[in-house]
Order: sequence, then structure tokens, then C-alpha cells
Amino acid sequence: MSSTGAVQIDPTGGRPPRTTTWAGFALPGVGWLIAFFVVPVYAVMAVAFGSVDPILRTPQPAWNPLAWDFSAMRSLLDRVFGGDLGKVFVRTFAFVFLALAGCIAIGYPVAYFVARKAARSRGMLLALLVLPFWISYLMRMLAWTNLLQQDGYVNQVLQWLQVMDAPRNWLDGDWPTVVIGLVYGYVPFFILPLYAALERIDGRLIEAGRDLGASAFRTFVHITLPLSVPGLLAASVITILPMFGDYYTNSYLTSGSPRTEMVGNQIEFFLRGSSQPQTGASLVLVLMVFLFALMVYYLRTTMKAQRESER
Amino acid sequence: MTSRRRLFRNRHGRARWLALITWLYVMWSLLPVLVAVRISLNSGKSRSTFQAPSFRWYWGDPTSSVWHDDSLHSALWNTLRLAGLCMVIATPLGVAMAIGLQRWRGRLSRGANTLMLVPIVTPEIVFGVALFIVFTQVYTGLPGGLTTQLLGHVTFTMSFVVVIIRGRLTAIGSQFEEAARDLGASRFQALRLVLLPMLGPAIFASLMVVFATSVDDFVISSFLSTGASTETVPIKIYSGARAGSTPALNALATVMLLVTLLAVVFASLVMRRMRAHGDTSASLSGITV
Amino acid sequence: MRTSRRQFLARSAQLGVLLGAGIPLLNACGSDDAASGSQRTEPIADGLEPEKGPLRIINYADYVNPDVVADFENKYGVKVEISTIDTDTEAVAKLASGALKVDVHHSMSSTSIGNLIQGGLIQPLNGTYFTNRGNVLAAFDDPWYDPGAVYSVPYTFFGTGIGYRADRIDPAEVEAQGWDTVWNATAFKGQVSILDDEREAFTMAMLRAGVTDINTLDQAIIDQALADVIELIDLVNVKVNIEGYKDIPEGTTTIAHTWSADLIAGAASYLPEGTSTDVLGFWHPPSEQYVVNNDSMGVLANAENPVLAHLYIDYLLDNAVAEKNFSWVGYLPALTKLDADFVIGAGYVPENLRSCVPTNDDIGNGLKFKALGPEGDAQYEAAWSKFTAGG
Repeated sequence: MSSTGAVQIDPTGGRPPRTTTWAGFALPGVGWLIAFFVVPVYAVMAVAFGSVDPILRTPQPAWNPLAWDFSAMRSLLDRVFGGDLGKVFVRTFAFVFLALAGCIAIGYPVAYFVARKAARSRGMLLALLVLPFWISYLMRMLAWTNLLQQDGYVNQVLQWLQVMDAPRNWLDGDWPTVVIGLVYGYVPFFILPLYAALERIDGRLIEAGRDLGASAFRTFVHITLPLSVPGLLAASVITILPMFGDYYTNSYLTSGSPRTEMVGNQIEFFLRGSSQPQTGASLVLVLMVFLFALMVYYLRTTMKAQRESER
Repeated sequence: MTSRRRLFRNRHGRARWLALITWLYVMWSLLPVLVAVRISLNSGKSRSTFQAPSFRWYWGDPTSSVWHDDSLHSALWNTLRLAGLCMVIATPLGVAMAIGLQRWRGRLSRGANTLMLVPIVTPEIVFGVALFIVFTQVYTGLPGGLTTQLLGHVTFTMSFVVVIIRGRLTAIGSQFEEAARDLGASRFQALRLVLLPMLGPAIFASLMVVFATSVDDFVISSFLSTGASTETVPIKIYSGARAGSTPALNALATVMLLVTLLAVVFASLVMRRMRAHGDTSASLSGITV
Repeated sequence: MRTSRRQFLARSAQLGVLLGAGIPLLNACGSDDAASGSQRTEPIADGLEPEKGPLRIINYADYVNPDVVADFENKYGVKVEISTIDTDTEAVAKLASGALKVDVHHSMSSTSIGNLIQGGLIQPLNGTYFTNRGNVLAAFDDPWYDPGAVYSVPYTFFGTGIGYRADRIDPAEVEAQGWDTVWNATAFKGQVSILDDEREAFTMAMLRAGVTDINTLDQAIIDQALADVIELIDLVNVKVNIEGYKDIPEGTTTIAHTWSADLIAGAASYLPEGTSTDVLGFWHPPSEQYVVNNDSMGVLANAENPVLAHLYIDYLLDNAVAEKNFSWVGYLPALTKLDADFVIGAGYVPENLRSCVPTNDDIGNGLKFKALGPEGDAQYEAAWSKFTAGG
């Protein structure tokens, strides 16, 4: 973009200095991420493929890839594929996708309303939607457990509405409590990106559909919905990725029940409460591999969007 | 004509249902927190039903209230200290990285960009485990507790800063800096005097996001905590579910909530004054497609 | 694109090798954790002055009376900080990795003291600071886990049995069924819990099956115990925690596999207003099958306040202090004075919970957990992981 019509003069006199300066800006951050992200992930691998001190049960990482011992990983994989740990993975996937379904069922209408319909109260609604971000996740879970106590308000309301006649113990380890808890915890993270995507849909396209005679419902199904799919996918991915590693929601909401155990709980058990940290580290690696496809999808779409917006 | 009126009526009808769902959602989302706050004002020990109002759990009770219980207000202090330091370290690092990444061309830059994005999609438990292992096996010279927790928090939140700032940088474009350079400013002067002030609102937004993320962090703080003196508020709330607990926990959470809300209100007032040119949703669009 | 991917892979392989070589260098630069530095292998000298504190302690949650701790703080003018852990393995892991630096280990389990001693994590104690040593039960003068009681002082002892709500299930029924009470509790689905401890849980199943060698490494027996415990998931929707002391009095749990002292603590501190202690009950097997265990106190080898640590331990051995502690914690201190008659007479334990106080016979003839070694631990942990995964 040239401010005069003439030949553009580059005051710096060439490419190389500019690149290195900007690279220099990014270097501290990159260095930090290497030191505190890349190296730790490598350390996890070193522990997973290392050994354990027999007396104190502390991990003895193997730093040299040539000395890696895959036996712990192999026995873990045996348990995952066709063993009991496979059940935990299946259950984790089930919880996450059920919770995602809940998030979509609740979040899509809300995001759609605020993005496209609520003209007057949009500012206030947005503020109310953003508010849960500023409220600590655990405080919201705390609030939820307060309500779910035997003599708490949920039971009282349900009995008053005559949906139930006796107080139900919500916290004794059934999966609905965990799924509802996950939905409650994560739906704010789902709604906001979805709102941003829905807001950006060009209103003229929708008007065009209506002008051509389609009903409001058909316009939604054939125009709005398909246009919102990328946003929906992105919001879904960004919601379920953290959910897979969640171990505190379910153990907070149930006083330790094997029926609701997720992968995160097993990781925590092996790493903090057992004598086999290498199994815990291996489990972390297995989890990452499972999530790899999702992570790559997210990275590629984000980077593509970045490149497009910066063109 | 008739069909259009029917459409018009339909649109209103459907919007009414959506409006209802939305407001129900907002209530479902926020009312439990209000109930938790109300229980913090409970005079009895019950965490499920409200008995009578009192400030017992804030400062009244001589052993268990937030004011008197050492472990509770050390948790509060730890959380605030961590969040404050994290803001001060992660934001400059993130801003510099955002500016650098946006202008740095080449494959290494794309690699660095990917590296920056990966922490956003990594589940926290992976972070917690990895950092725990690295601080006990590799960087063993570092004092445990606050230092390691801070390092973990900064790593985790830096990427959010980069994404927010980059979104804003894209929206701003390069014309202002170029204009400044045409008028004779050096590259760094253009950066300092033109770009950074324009980034002001975004920098403030990043500060707030880093603050909120750090205050809310549970997994990393818990894996790196070295004992009672390095516990944060989320850790206290979590362990309060297991051991015997009182509404003092609700009081602690409420205090934290008030601090965060005050910070947000303060920040938004400052941002409103800083914002010379209107542009609202830049910070959100950074994290989404 | 293809070129860059290959280059990327090549570069990451190089990075891997670099990291592999570089990290041991980094390691050398950092300080070592558990095995050197200010580690003590000899007891401290006699007659030293106590340090300024703060005294750091590692303990289970709710395992020492806060008033007792406050009294100690006032007596010596120091602050005390308590870090809590959920399981013994967690404690060892945190101490060994250097993640936790404390002075006193308040509750070492008998199975891990051996590891702590071998790993050089605890220091030999200097008995001259223990003016109250004479109060301790003679049975603990030469325990199997710490010959000569060089490294440890017993804290509390307890047995494992079934705690229950006597107002919901007839005590006679519990007596008649024994361990089967847990498996037959389908009427109380969702209100049954077992201990969050792999040894305890599987031992219960083994005892129910008639096996008395609770330290067995026989995989077949462990597998059978695992299968039995897994049954509980569907039978009674079993919960896994160590909160029986709170849940039974509050009524959220009806039948709990728990420790004897939990009922005493529950009766003392967690009953709702107006509820009589008659609603609580405890059953345990006869002496020969009764698992009696104890926790011990020790001083960490790298403690910064070793003298203060010794004084704290001695303080807890004082009869009056131990009594005050017991009245809140419910776990019996290993002191001669506090036997069943005394504690019931003094009103700390209601008569209907007499079974919660292990007798001298119980201590003598009861079963004990022994350390299993790494392979043994791995066996039990693998089984436990299978159970918690949902069977």
C-alpha cells in the first residue's frame, strides 16, 4: 500500500534486518515456551520410557532416546485396547460427547439469539454471558454441589414441582450428575466463540433467502446453519479438548465412584498416589495421541483463519 | 402481504422462545453462584440451606473465618500474588511475541506460531503433569511453590495474550505505523509512539484475561503446590469438598469473586477511556475461526 | 510443503537428541533433591535450643486437633503449618521428589517407614528430647517396621471394620453377617462406601473369603479379591473415600468400610445437633482376623527445624495433650493411660462404641500390613486401577 503514487522506498534498505528484528521480538516468548512447554513434554516422555527407583518409587527418567524402555507403555496399551482402561477411555469419550451435545443444545439457541436477534439487550446479555469467565470454575462447581446436597435447593424445588417425591442423592456417583456438571462448567466456553462466529454471518445472505420466498425456518436450515458450521466446529473443539483431561469435576461432584472415573483420574492416581509414575506418564502420552487429531484440526483452521485475515 | 405478515408473526414468536431460553440459561448459569454467595452469609454450618444471615464466616468466627483462619487467607494472598506477577510477566512477553510473530516472515515463524498455539489446545492435566515432572527432575534448583506455579501460569497464559494482541494487530493494520515512518520516525519510535498506544485496550484486555485465568487455575497450581503455604483458592475449594468444610469456603470464593469483579469493572472503565477508535469484538475473534 | 515437513521432522529429531544430551547437563546444574545436601544420618545433638519455626508438618486432613496445635504455637511462640495429603503413597512421592519440604511427618504408615528409612528421608531421633516417652504403650517399644524405635514414635493405632448407622440396620444383623454386610447392602444402594486404599479394600475381600495372609503376593488371590470388590460397583453403587467419619454421622452413608476411630471422631464432632450417639455402630472381626495398624511420627532428614520437631512430638506424647487431641480426632493415641475403660469412663467414647477401642489382645494377635516391595505394590496398584476404572 503506497501513500504516494511514486515508487515505494523502503527506509530500512532491505529485508534481512527487518526479519531479524521482528524475530528478536518473538524470541523471548519462543524461548520461554521451549523451556517450559517443549522440555516438559519431552520430560514426560523420558519418564514414561524410563524406570523407577525401587525404594522411594520416584521416577528415573531416561533422557537418551536410545535408552528408552517401552515395557510400561506396552502393558498400558494392552490394558487400553481390550482391557479395563479401554472402558475408562470409552466412558470419558461418552461423557465428553454427551456434555458437548448438552452444550450445543443449550448454547446454540442462546448464541443465536444474542448474535442475531437481541438488538436491545445485546450489551447486557453479552456481559452476562461473559460473567462466568470471571467466576472461578471451582466456585461454580461449589455452588452446584451446594444445590445438589440431599437437603439442598434442587431437591426442594423438584419436590415442590412434584417431579420427585423423595429427595434424591445426586452426589452418589451417577453419570448424569457428572455430565450435567461438565455442561454447566464448560458451556460458557462454548457459547462465546459460537456467538462471535454467528455474529459474523453476513445478514444480507439471510435477507436474500427471505426475499426469495423461503420461510424463516427454511432460511435457517439452508443458509444460517451451514454458514455457522465452521464456528460450531471450532467452538466444539475448543470446549471438548480441555474436557478430556478433566478429573476434578467428576471427583468433586461424586465422592469417588468407580462408575464415573475418567482418564484424568487414572492419570492422577498413577502419578500421585502410586509407585508407578511411568505408567501415569505413559497414560498422558496416550491421551495426547488420542487428542492429536482434534488438536491438529484446531491448529490448522486457526492458522488458516489468521493467514486469511492478515492478507 | 398476508404471507409476509405471517412471517413477521413467526419471527416474533420464535424469537420469544429463543429469548426465553436465553434468559433461562443466564439464570441457570448465574443463580447458583448467587446462592453460594448467600450461603457464605449463613450463620450456621450448613452448606446446603440458608439459616440466618451473619458475617460469621468472613470475620466473625475466631478460628474458621476467612479473616482468622490462616490457611484461608494465605490461600487468598497466594492467589492474588500469583495472578499479579503472572500479569506482569506474561503480558509483555505475549505482546512482544505477537508483534514479532505477525511481522516475521518465513517458515521458522510459522513453526513458532504453531508452538504458541499448542498450549491453548493442550488439556491442563498434561500441563500439570509435564511441569511437575520437569520441576522435580530437570529444573530442580528452583524453589518450589510460588516460583514454579508462576512459571507454569505464565506458560499457560502467554498464548492467550498473543492471540488477543494479534487479533487487534490485524484489525489495526499497518497504515498508522507506515504513516509515522513516512513522517520520519524510526521503526522503534513508530512502534512505541503509535502502535503501542493503539494496542492499549487490547493490552488491558490481555491483562484481565491473564488475571482471570491465573486466579481460576486449579490443575497446574495443585500439581506444583508444595504444601499448605502454597495453596491457592481453587485448591482450597477443591479440597474443601473432601474434608469437613464450612461456609467459610463460600466466603473465600465470594471474596475472590468480588476482587475479580472489581478488577473487571476497573479495567473496563480504563479501557473505555483509552479507546480512541471504536472497535469491539477484536479480542474474541482472535480465538475463533 | 513436503520439503518443509521433512525438514521439520529432521529438525525435531535433532532437537530430541539435543534435549537428550542437554538435560543431564541441566540436571548437574540444579541442586539434587532427596539424597544429599543437608541430609542427616545421625541424630541431632542433645540440649539444643528450639528454632524459630515455622514448623512444617505433613499430615492427613483433620488428623490433629487444631486447638492442640494452637496450644503448641502459644507454648513455644512459633507458627505451625500443616500440609495435607490424601494417601500415604502421595506423601512418600511428594517427600521423595522434593516437592514438599517439611520438618515433621505426622502420620507415617507402618508399611512405608521402611522405605523412608532406606531412602534416607527420615532421621534417627534423639530420645533425650522425649520426656514423655514413658507414656507410650510397651507394644510399640520395638515395632517390626522400625527395630528399636530409632526413627519413629507411634502416633495413633486403629483397626479396620464396618461402621454403620445403628438406626437403619440392626447391629445384630451386622454381627451375624460380618463382611457380607457390605455385599448384602442392596437396600442401601448409593449409601455404601469402602476405603480409598488398595490394601485395605482388597484385604476386606480376602478376609471375607477366609484368607488371612493379607500380605500375599499370590496373583490368583488378588484377582479373586478384585473380582469381589468389583461386584460392589453394581451391587451397591459403592463410593470410594475416607470420609466415613463425616458421612456416617451426617447420614449420607449407611454402611462404611472404615477405621475404628472414624466412629469415635464422628460421635465427637460430626453428629448433627440433637442426634444421639446411639445411631452409630462399629463391627470388627475377632482378634485373629482384625487388622490393627498404626501411624507414627518422624522427623525428616532435611528438616530445617529438627529441635522444634522433636519438641512437637514430645508434646503430643503428653497424656493431657493426647487426651485433648483424642477427644477431637477420635484416633487412639498409643499411650498406656488411654485404654478402653479410661476413655469410656471419661466420656470420650460412648459405651455402644466400645468395639472401637482395640484391646491389648487385638494389638497382640491382630493382623498387620507389611511392606510388599515394588513388584507387590505394582500388583495391588494394577488391581486397584482396574477397580476404579469401573471394573
